[in-house]
Amino acid sequence: MAKPIRFALIGNPNCGKTSLFNRLTGARAKVANYPGVTVERRSGPLDLPHPAELLDLPGTYSLFVTSPDEQVARDVILGKIAGEAKPDVLIAVVDATNLRLGLRLVMELKTLNRPMLLALNQMDAARTRGISINTAGLARAIGMPVIETVAVNRHGTDDLRKLLAEYAENCAQHPLEEGMQPLALSRQIEELSREESIEDLYSLIETIVSEQVIQPSELPRWQDRLDAVVMHPILGLGVLFSILLVVFQAVFAWANPLMDFIKAGKDSLGETVSFYMPAGILKDFIVQGLIAGMGSVVVFLPQIIILFFFILVLEDTGYLTRAAFLLDRPMRGLGISGRSFIPLLSSFACAVPGIMSTRTISDPRERFITIMIAPLMTCSARLPVYALIIGAFIPAQTVWGIFNLQGLTLFALYFAGVVSAAVVALIMRRNQAREEFPLLLELPCYRWPMAYHLFMGLKERVVIFLRRVGTIILALSIVLWFLVSFPGAPADATRPAIEYSLAGQLGGFMQHLFAPLGFNWQMCIALIPAMGAREVAVSTLATVYAVGENSAEGALGTTLSQAWSLPVALAYLAWFVYAPQCISTIAVVRRETNSVKYTVFFAVYLLVLAYCAAWATYSLASWLL
Amino acid sequence: MNSAFNPDLSSAHHDVTVAATGALGLHECRKGSQVRIINLQPQPLFGAQDENITLRLKELGFLPGAQLKIIGFGLLGSDPLAVQVNGTKFALRRAEAAKIRVELISGSH
Repeated sequence: MAKPIRFALIGNPNCGKTSLFNRLTGARAKVANYPGVTVERRSGPLDLPHPAELLDLPGTYSLFVTSPDEQVARDVILGKIAGEAKPDVLIAVVDATNLRLGLRLVMELKTLNRPMLLALNQMDAARTRGISINTAGLARAIGMPVIETVAVNRHGTDDLRKLLAEYAENCAQHPLEEGMQPLALSRQIEELSREESIEDLYSLIETIVSEQVIQPSELPRWQDRLDAVVMHPILGLGVLFSILLVVFQAVFAWANPLMDFIKAGKDSLGETVSFYMPAGILKDFIVQGLIAGMGSVVVFLPQIIILFFFILVLEDTGYLTRAAFLLDRPMRGLGISGRSFIPLLSSFACAVPGIMSTRTISDPRERFITIMIAPLMTCSARLPVYALIIGAFIPAQTVWGIFNLQGLTLFALYFAGVVSAAVVALIMRRNQAREEFPLLLELPCYRWPMAYHLFMGLKERVVIFLRRVGTIILALSIVLWFLVSFPGAPADATRPAIEYSLAGQLGGFMQHLFAPLGFNWQMCIALIPAMGAREVAVSTLATVYAVGENSAEGALGTTLSQAWSLPVALAYLAWFVYAPQCISTIAVVRRETNSVKYTVFFAVYLLVLAYCAAWATYSLASWLL
Repeated sequence: MNSAFNPDLSSAHHDVTVAATGALGLHECRKGSQVRIINLQPQPLFGAQDENITLRLKELGFLPGAQLKIIGFGLLGSDPLAVQVNGTKFALRRAEAAKIRVELISGSH
């Protein structure tokens, strides 16, 4: 088979590259490992007569980069990624409602002398706004084909697809000889006088735009009016807190019916299987190991979908950068900035994409601090643990007339994470010499979120979650089942069988370390598989307390409330607020900081914090209660 | 070094002269005012990367002659501020806004 022709999408942030990518590659693109803003290149096959591949790159304003995500885009374009050839054809994507800024990058890219075409994206929005562009004239003026695209519309990318097919055909028939590739591109860029080129390019763009484009000088009134409220120092904060409140309310309240539905499905599956299967080790394995282990995690799918739905919508509408604008000043006091807001917000879903999206932060120290505190944002994997323990120990009574005590406890756990993050950031900032970095954040126009893009984004997150259940969590469930089942209890056993198993022995050993915190060996054993995925702590507890089978509603909770004292339960919660209980997070910190020293520091500081917090909670609660 | 990027030293160090000629820093402008950029000057707070910040600002469209509209301010004082240039809105901090010397077209400061 012929080598696929490689196309790369490149353009400013927010110009709609990823929605074009979704449209062009459809459902066949490989799902990224972690969701979030594009900070890493990703590729998908293009459905063209000639084999072709499409690359989606992080957005950039310039080849003179200022942040790690822009660096990725630059390195791919210039072929500086080891073992990866340069893309054959560049597809410059320009937001038609934001022409000048987009065209500047296009003209800069043009100096690279590479096969290139221009996709004028969001043409529908441009037309509604009264912008009309003479596409043919523009193509002549900038010397490359110009195609109008509408990523919202199913047929909005047909013309682009046709043109790509021609390019692919052409590239296949007339491959560029090695000698024809522009030499030493990087050198060429550095030699390019950046200072003069900026002003020259803009005056050129000004001429082109005045000849080929008719556009109103003002943005639509509603955009400005909305900004007047959303970015208002006081009203804006009100809007922000209301939005966050709705998001959290939705995650915890709206998800319930769906979660009950999944839980019921899991339970009836377990019962059906145990009814039809002959008793024995295989049945134990399937019912207690697989169904209980994986099922107790799948239950949280609705919450994760809802949380990601809101983050995606807020991101697509352009709201999140406004929130970053509002919070910049308060966050700066902590040595971070508005740019850290989006990574930290995503960390509420999962710290891994949160830490990856710190690549959009140009200040290396700010990026470091953000990475260090990201796991203190309560991620969705902690929810199952919190939900279980709160449900078992905190009475569902109403306090002060309107608040539910369980809800308040959950809020307190989230709040503890955020406050601790602020304190840690403050301490880290004090140890570092400060040099100012600019904020320079584009506030994109408000847009309606695109249903298709939203759907693709959510689908990706669901796939990632289920894949995790099917791999890591499946594996952990199996390992765990072995640990608790073998070796079996001796014939003259006086204590429950599990205490003789490997898990029981391991837990007994760990218990010495955790004795000051009041943890019993069952709690200790649950911490081990939770390193792979925190939510597995729940299924582990279910397994060690042997309530996986025929579990009635809340059976595990009832067992726990009899087995643990309240101070111990609270200490366990405190442990989970801080502990670096997640191998994937530690791995991504290692990759993003590229330093073993920082990674060790990261893990140790969180462990110490977790131990101290759990000890303090245990001691305080024992003394008070 | 292109002279256009060197600061006008007289305006950088003697604010009195600046006031007399009607030039002011973007950070001194009121919400809603329209201004035109005169030039970009160095900001010692940014240290060694100051020149790159000047260039990035220019790449984003903050060039001498460009018209800006001040849209609003952040939480405390006038920091950060939001401006519109060429139909695109940006959030800037006082530090980078102070690099941008402007003259008023309409509105007050």
